[in-house]
Amino acid sequence: MAAPDRDETLRAALVSGLSRRRTSLGVTAGPGAIWIVLLLIAPLAFMTAVSFASIDNVTFNIIWEPTVNNYRDLVVGGTTEYSLGPLVYTATAFEKAVLLSYSIATVATVLCLTFAFPLAYVMARLDDRAFKIVIYLVLLPFFTMYLVRAYSWRLMFGQSGVLNQVLGAVGIGPIGAFEFGIPAVIVGLTHAYFPYMLITLYASLDGLDFSLIEAARDLGASRVDVIRDHIIPLTLPGIVGGSLFVFVPSVGAFITPQILGQGKVQMIGILIEQRAIGEATNAATASAASMAVVVSIVVAMFLVFRYVDLDELGGV
Amino acid sequence: MATETGEPAEQTGKEYADQFRNHQRIEQLLGNGLYAFAALMLVFLWLPLLIIVFLSFAQSPNLLPFDGLTLSNYQGIAGEPGLRSSVVSSFSIATFSAIIATTLGVLASFALTRYQFPFREVYRTFGIIPMIVPGVILGVGLRFYFLTVGINPSFLATVLTHSLYGLPFVLLIVSARLYTFDESLEEAARDLGADPLTTFRDVTFPVIAPAIGAGFLFAWVRSFEDYIRALFVSGINTDPLTQWMFGKITKASAENLNVLNAVSTLVVLAIAVALAIAMNYGNVTGYVAGTRDDADEE
Repeated sequence: MAAPDRDETLRAALVSGLSRRRTSLGVTAGPGAIWIVLLLIAPLAFMTAVSFASIDNVTFNIIWEPTVNNYRDLVVGGTTEYSLGPLVYTATAFEKAVLLSYSIATVATVLCLTFAFPLAYVMARLDDRAFKIVIYLVLLPFFTMYLVRAYSWRLMFGQSGVLNQVLGAVGIGPIGAFEFGIPAVIVGLTHAYFPYMLITLYASLDGLDFSLIEAARDLGASRVDVIRDHIIPLTLPGIVGGSLFVFVPSVGAFITPQILGQGKVQMIGILIEQRAIGEATNAATASAASMAVVVSIVVAMFLVFRYVDLDELGGV
Repeated sequence: MATETGEPAEQTGKEYADQFRNHQRIEQLLGNGLYAFAALMLVFLWLPLLIIVFLSFAQSPNLLPFDGLTLSNYQGIAGEPGLRSSVVSSFSIATFSAIIATTLGVLASFALTRYQFPFREVYRTFGIIPMIVPGVILGVGLRFYFLTVGINPSFLATVLTHSLYGLPFVLLIVSARLYTFDESLEEAARDLGADPLTTFRDVTFPVIAPAIGAGFLFAWVRSFEDYIRALFVSGINTDPLTQWMFGKITKASAENLNVLNAVSTLVVLAIAVALAIAMNYGNVTGYVAGTRDDADEE
């Protein structure tokens, strides 16, 4: 009869423990904090440290002597000449990858924002029945595998892709914009992260009091005025949050440029992958190259801290 | 206002009426334009997926020339080496990591919504960040880190990585639910003599259970669909479904694409059914897309 007694004491201890604020805080916040420290902060800190160390060529062990050689290797030597319209510049593969990644991510973010905002606005004004249908149509692509969605655009683009075949059949194409390359990668990323933007924007638009907008319109504010003075300020957390959810993953994208670039779009994610496990494995250079993406993560962290509220976001 | 009634009351009344009609027409046009644009965006989301579904029944993976319909692509699935084991592998990784992510996420949501503590905002921020960190960075960072602390790329390493990746999704959904939860219900239970554990089991849990379910589903799907994180930490003995699929995409022969279209269609279908069920039972929309449905429950 000892077992039930022990259960009872254990339960009593648990109950009295949970009644104390300190203990219950520790029990609830503790495990998550441990996970975040051990699996997020420590690896990123370790990566930063490795980027300033070097790797033994024979044993592949890390040599802990502070050096900036990894960074120097990325930006010095091996430059190629590139032309961007009339502009001709020289850059290393790394510099070009960084420039390309940040530009593509910016375009994808702007596209997501402009495409998602009207849809989110309509969703916020739909009645419950119509909303249920639309949210299902939005969530299904969102839940569908990222890889399947990237692959679906691989079928659409390319010399013999669906788009060019259809254009060819009606006698217009095939046209170059539908080949694999930067436009395809931008479309792929926009499609991939569109639902993140949409749901974040919707969550902040849903809390919006539309009678405010009607009131402003009645009092003579133009459409542009209403958008600038009311809708944008009131949905700013959603705009910032949504943009981060698109921009940062796009900067470090790998699958989309790999599948839709077909070797023509060397974004930073591909470069890191090659240094980490690919043909030119070197943990230190890979870590140093990763810092170009980590910078955007750190900036995102400050913006999330400042603008994104859990209760306002509602859930992504 | 005279303009709003549309009744010409004065000499200038006709002008007002014209203006109003004009205004109405513009308003209607803009309204229709907005809805048309919204519909276009849904087409954008859906078109490539529908093309996959269609091509999965086509003889050739090229749309044109169209060679006719067939079910042979689906019959081809059975003979695929490694497909079955990779599905099993992905299922187990997703289930284990979602269980961990859900447990940690639910506890952390309570901490964030119920207590004031130092660095609470920092905790919240770091709780969201794993979702934003690009897969390459998380994968590479954890790969080097795991190797140094003695965890080789393996099933375990993948589960740990995905459990961190899934945490924000649970955290966002469950804490959103807890914010709208009426705490006086808990107080009432406590006043009537229930201890914290009983209160949680009988009062709090039933209310937040659908949100926990939605969070679990989200974390599960995010793990199941992940390719890039697993690429760095899964090692050669663990081969998730995404790696099998990626291999088919890179070796894009007509045969490979046919099988891939069929597998992709099955994945889309499975997710469609799971989502429909979850939305019927668990009110997923409310927890995933904000607080709209909370109003209905009161």
